[in-house]
Amino acid sequence: MSTKHSKAAEVFLEDRDHASWHNESLWFVREKRDKISKDIPEWEDLREISGKIKMHTISHLDQYLEQFTKNAEANGVIIHWAVDAKEHNEIVYDILQKNKVKKLIKSKSMLTEECHLNPYLIDHGIDVVESDLGERILQLMDLAPSHIVLPAIHIKRQQVGELFEEKLGTEKGNSDPTYLTRAARKHLRREFMTADAGMTGANFAIASTGDIVVCTNEGNADMGTSLPKLHIVSMGLEKVIPDLKSLSVFTRLLARSATGQPVTTYTSHFRKPRPGGEMHVVIVDNGRSKVLANKDHIQTLNCIRCGACMNTCPVYHRTGGYSYTYFIPGPIGINLGMLKAPSKYFDNVSACTLCFSCNNVCPAKIDLGQQIYKWRQNLDNLHHADPVKKMISGGLKFLFTKPGLYNTSLKMAPVINVIPRFVLYNGLNEWGKGRELPVFAKESFTELWKKGKVK
Amino acid sequence: MNSKEIILSNIKNNIRTQYEMPEINLKAIEYTDKIVRFCDVLTSVGGVGYILKTGENVNEAIKSIYPNAKVIASNCNDITCATMNPDKADDAHQLTGIDLAIVNGELGVAENACVWIPQNVVHKAIYFIAEEMVILLDKNRLVNNMHEAYDQIEFSDIGFGLFISGPSKTADIEQALVIGAHGVKGLTVILR
Repeated sequence: MSTKHSKAAEVFLEDRDHASWHNESLWFVREKRDKISKDIPEWEDLREISGKIKMHTISHLDQYLEQFTKNAEANGVIIHWAVDAKEHNEIVYDILQKNKVKKLIKSKSMLTEECHLNPYLIDHGIDVVESDLGERILQLMDLAPSHIVLPAIHIKRQQVGELFEEKLGTEKGNSDPTYLTRAARKHLRREFMTADAGMTGANFAIASTGDIVVCTNEGNADMGTSLPKLHIVSMGLEKVIPDLKSLSVFTRLLARSATGQPVTTYTSHFRKPRPGGEMHVVIVDNGRSKVLANKDHIQTLNCIRCGACMNTCPVYHRTGGYSYTYFIPGPIGINLGMLKAPSKYFDNVSACTLCFSCNNVCPAKIDLGQQIYKWRQNLDNLHHADPVKKMISGGLKFLFTKPGLYNTSLKMAPVINVIPRFVLYNGLNEWGKGRELPVFAKESFTELWKKGKVK
Repeated sequence: MNSKEIILSNIKNNIRTQYEMPEINLKAIEYTDKIVRFCDVLTSVGGVGYILKTGENVNEAIKSIYPNAKVIASNCNDITCATMNPDKADDAHQLTGIDLAIVNGELGVAENACVWIPQNVVHKAIYFIAEEMVILLDKNRLVNNMHEAYDQIEFSDIGFGLFISGPSKTADIEQALVIGAHGVKGLTVILR
């Protein structure tokens, strides 16, 4: 039984050159992260404190959300609450309608992906323009992001060149990244100038001040909120942190973990609406509050969406974001998908070698690997355990609990070394697919020990 | 119950264990020469650090760094090379076609070349919309790291403020770094 992930991965891997290029691109980002994290001797202390601040905040979330709301409202910001994606989309559309907005310019927001906001608004006649370069490329291609921070990491420059040639009228055959970025800058300048409202996500919401903090490199969130006077923020309720002192920890971790930069170019604090304008914040639950009661998976609420777990994951590297069935891929996405709907997203839990590299890079020290392991242990209860592997596991359990039989079979094991390949590697041996069996030693460790051969 | 009450009551009902807030008093990195570190990091993120020499005129320095800038926007009193005051514009949309914007920064951070700017112009668009930008910064106003920075920053009444570290950039096409995405394409911090 193959999972949807492994089937999609097989297709991804058919183009060996592309797959290996994808793998190297991600590894490049991971190496940058390693290098820059070593620039700061207190790096591990920062990770430790960050995880603790998050655990404290989410375990006092009602208080911090109320404090944030009180302060933001005192600053003139209008706060909305959305129980689910549907309510979020309706609130946003309602704000747009009241302000007679025809064109909305957006900066990157995974929450609006989660809520499927764009198609909803487009269906209601709003012109929605993504302004992050990667997001805009994907929007013009009608594709979803394959990574939460590097949305178009799977797209080659030639594809962008061809796309821009068709959509933006760039030179034929020119796929130089600088040339294409300049073309997008020019194109999006027009969009910024003619937009009626700007929408951003929120990297952090500061309870003690009511600030919304947005971190970007391109300056698109800032352009989108500096021209149109209406600013709408879409924010998951776990984005709140206590104060600016806490934020000092996260601003040191976020960009270093995400892209290996010392900080993002812009760290913008939106405290009040623009003079003569409006600022709205939509606080979204959409299943998050439920996770608070789940002790095995509560730490997923600590995620600051840096993408480091994807950049380090050997499975993500080699299979690409689209192989996962949940819209957020990689280790954090496997867990978030299972929390959303286990029976729908269980295919992803096998997309993990349990190497735990994700745990070691996560700036909030989330136990990503342990969580995936726990989901797997529970697959049988969800009736999604692979029957063949289950049978093999059952057989091994039988064997491991009977020492005599175990020793006899060990003695027999070297026989496998000389069995012809077609007997071993066929459709019946699930573990022979994509793997080589080890060469079995002539003598087992027990035998060597007994004969005094182990020094 | 409205949505706010539903969400807050769900949160209250679902919280199991409450965790203490940790003390944030870690021993954070400090630099023997903050100016050198600041300029090194600024270079690495695509910007330029320019240390004004004693007796050197800031306007002359700007003209020498940006000899081709024609439309220069600034609301700083001592910037006589400015050709326009962006605060005079009725609307941010009028601020197009600016070659160089010159603004004041309040605090620099050595660890990551951030400069804190509490909105000190009428239209914040000026921080992003110009082709290139100069930030003027008092070289005695450098701190080591973000912890020190967040202890010291202040906001203006306008209610917007930001840290800027270098010019805008993107690597969204094949991870190839391109300086100049939607914000400014070049940034010089003049330390004086």
